Amino acid sequence: MAYSQEVLARFRNFFIEIGELSFFAHRYFKEVFSPPFEFKELLRQCYQIGNKSLLLVGVTGFILGLVFTLQSRPTLMQFGAESWMPSMVSISIVREIGPVITALICAGRIGSGIGAELGSMRVTEQIDAMEVSGTNPFKYLVITRITAATLMLPILVIFGDAIALIGSAIVENLKGAVSYQLYFGKVFNALHFNDLIPATIKTFFFGFAIGLVGCYKGYFCKKGTVGVGEASNAAVVYSSMLLFIIDFIAVFVTDIFFEI
Amino acid sequence: MSGIKNSSSQNFRLGVFVVLGTLILISALYFIGKRQNLFSNTITLYAEFKNLNGLQLGNNVRHAGINVGVVNKILMINDSRIVVGMSIQEDLSQHIKQNAIATIGSDGLVGNMLINIIPQSGDGTIVKSGDTIRTYSRIGADDMLTTLNVTNENAALLTADLLKLTTKILNGKGTLGMLINDSLVAKDLKKTMNNLKLASAQASQVLRETNAAFKTIQSNNSVINTIAFDTVSGTQIKNLLANLDESSMKIKQMSTDLTNYFEQLKDADGVLNYLTNDASVVRSIDSTLFYIKEGTYKFNQSMEALQHNFLLRGYFKKQERLKEKKE
Amino acid sequence: MKHEINTDPVLQIDSLVKSFGNNRVLNGFNLKLYEGENLVVMGKSGSGKSVMIKCLVGLMHADSGTITIRGKDITMMRPQELDILRTEIGFLFQGSALYDSMTVRENLEFPLRRHKERLRIRESNINLVKEALENVGLSEAIDLMPAELSGGMKRRVALARALILKPKIILYDEPTTGLDPITAKEIIELMRTIQKKYSTSSLIITHDVDCARVISNKIILLINGVNYIEGTYKQLVQSTDPLVKAFFK
Repeated sequence: MAYSQEVLARFRNFFIEIGELSFFAHRYFKEVFSPPFEFKELLRQCYQIGNKSLLLVGVTGFILGLVFTLQSRPTLMQFGAESWMPSMVSISIVREIGPVITALICAGRIGSGIGAELGSMRVTEQIDAMEVSGTNPFKYLVITRITAATLMLPILVIFGDAIALIGSAIVENLKGAVSYQLYFGKVFNALHFNDLIPATIKTFFFGFAIGLVGCYKGYFCKKGTVGVGEASNAAVVYSSMLLFIIDFIAVFVTDIFFEI
Repeated sequence: MSGIKNSSSQNFRLGVFVVLGTLILISALYFIGKRQNLFSNTITLYAEFKNLNGLQLGNNVRHAGINVGVVNKILMINDSRIVVGMSIQEDLSQHIKQNAIATIGSDGLVGNMLINIIPQSGDGTIVKSGDTIRTYSRIGADDMLTTLNVTNENAALLTADLLKLTTKILNGKGTLGMLINDSLVAKDLKKTMNNLKLASAQASQVLRETNAAFKTIQSNNSVINTIAFDTVSGTQIKNLLANLDESSMKIKQMSTDLTNYFEQLKDADGVLNYLTNDASVVRSIDSTLFYIKEGTYKFNQSMEALQHNFLLRGYFKKQERLKEKKE
Repeated sequence: MKHEINTDPVLQIDSLVKSFGNNRVLNGFNLKLYEGENLVVMGKSGSGKSVMIKCLVGLMHADSGTITIRGKDITMMRPQELDILRTEIGFLFQGSALYDSMTVRENLEFPLRRHKERLRIRESNINLVKEALENVGLSEAIDLMPAELSGGMKRRVALARALILKPKIILYDEPTTGLDPITAKEIIELMRTIQKKYSTSSLIITHDVDCARVISNKIILLINGVNYIEGTYKQLVQSTDPLVKAFFK
């Protein structure tokens, strides 16, 4: 009896959460285009989210490309199809692995960062202080962060993709004696607009999801330091889940509009 | 002060980050687009095929081994006519002449299908947009190769039989003595000899013609040539030519031997007694003759097929014209 | 130290009700703050003091009751009007609430961002910041980050921030919590100095009896969501009511 009630309550909470998140997103779109615009803070957040994540994304991307190529080599060699390596690696990185891995890393870094920052600002009444100071904290804190994440993630993904391909090219160059020119020639031969454009468009949604969930969790953080931890943790978990759902939808939509 | 400086250097770095990222994206889009000839001026050429063998939109088009464009249109007119549109880079199209031939090939064993535009010798005007160029279907060549192969096998079989026979006769182990006693057999033998001579002459004539034909083809810059450079078919044809050469030589050699031998038989009566009464020799000679006949017939047939093949039509027409001139 | 110059209160709360779920925190609370007065509201933790003060600046919305500041009812106000009114009120938060990501200077400049033009303040930001920091005796801390400050310094910077627009009413939410007695005394002294210098009216929420003793003109005891008893410090100390006695020991 108690158990079923608990399950029911969890279901209820889940839908409440979804509803609140939708309302939060709605509020974002309602306020993002109305003045005053916190442009300076937006730039600051872009710097925090974009530049500060570049190293992490770069290192991850490089290792990803390196390892992916190293692991695929033996299999392709069995078929004598090493020459297909650049096409295979580039298509899988540009279409799927690059955006998803970069977004997951950013969910970890940016999402938790935003969740913890806004959470602690909520707990220490900084958000209240802002409101009392005549600045709309939703505009100043939430809109700038969500917008910055939405704008920066695609760029981070592009860097991640490029660095991953460089890593892959290095392996091919050392192990397979493929020149860089040949490697990238083959990469661009294999890639089509259909690979690059939908993948780039979906990263905007990834960025939006990371920013949205992080801000939502932080903005409505429960009191106390435990609340901050929960907010930052939940931001990562929920945004990662949301990323996969978006990716799933994106693949469907891409299939319809671009005929992969 | 430090705050302002700090934020301006942050903004600078942010600017670099954004500009660099956008540049990478734009250049990636540019390079992809360039590969698909979206930004350079292109012309369109058409070619009609019976069978595309899995050719798809976006497959490469090569001219003399260089990528010059992509397949951008496939139009099925009816069950045996498919028109393929190719967008060719304008600067590279200046070297394609109107007499060039398009064939469908593949890029390695597991590679994509592609269209090869093969330049032909001789002067031709440069193609312009909208032109249709000639095609050559690989299936024709395959048929031809099969026929030639059968001919070759028959010729080889025949040669082997004849060789065995002549060896026996030359060694003096045989039944020719019996042949002399039996007038019927002698008559048969004479007839056979005549037939053999005729057949040999025919065979060598045919072989000479084929040889000559292939030699011309080889020296000529025609499609066969490119096939020869191409893949398996090249080695096949080369082997075939070599075999044909060899067989014709052997047949010639053998018929000379035979003629000499029978002349000796006529002059020297005594030797005939050594011939045994073995009828199997006669049967074997008979069957040999049959093989030779059949071989010649088949050879003629394949020559006919060759004559009808458009690749070689040019050569035979030339031959006919030469004949007419002589007459 | 009693001076009731004006008959009209600058701030008035009438029968304020606020509940969270089934928990009715405020149940008809009344309050009048006169100009130049230091009014202390005391109560146990969770008695609704902070809720009341947040309702005063529109951070929370009351279920019923009216809040009148300088003759205007804020419960019906639109956000823009509320913003204008907020410039006349300084708010010192419980935990100082300095913005962690900004320097002291940026913290002080923050209220100026939106309000400066509206209030037609001609002075440059830097002068205003310097003046505010001088008032709290922390001029040297201008370029430090909040994390580099001690608790007492944070509280002073927060006070400087609350004063930067020279408000007429200052709300103090537990100004001495989390501070050692000596620092707490310093802060209380500072509050008195500032009150004299700018002749502000103050509403102070605290459970610190010392603070109430030093600064209050009048004390309201908030128990069970209503004003349990009102009076000067002396009056309340002499009260025989066991609940009041429990407070002042």
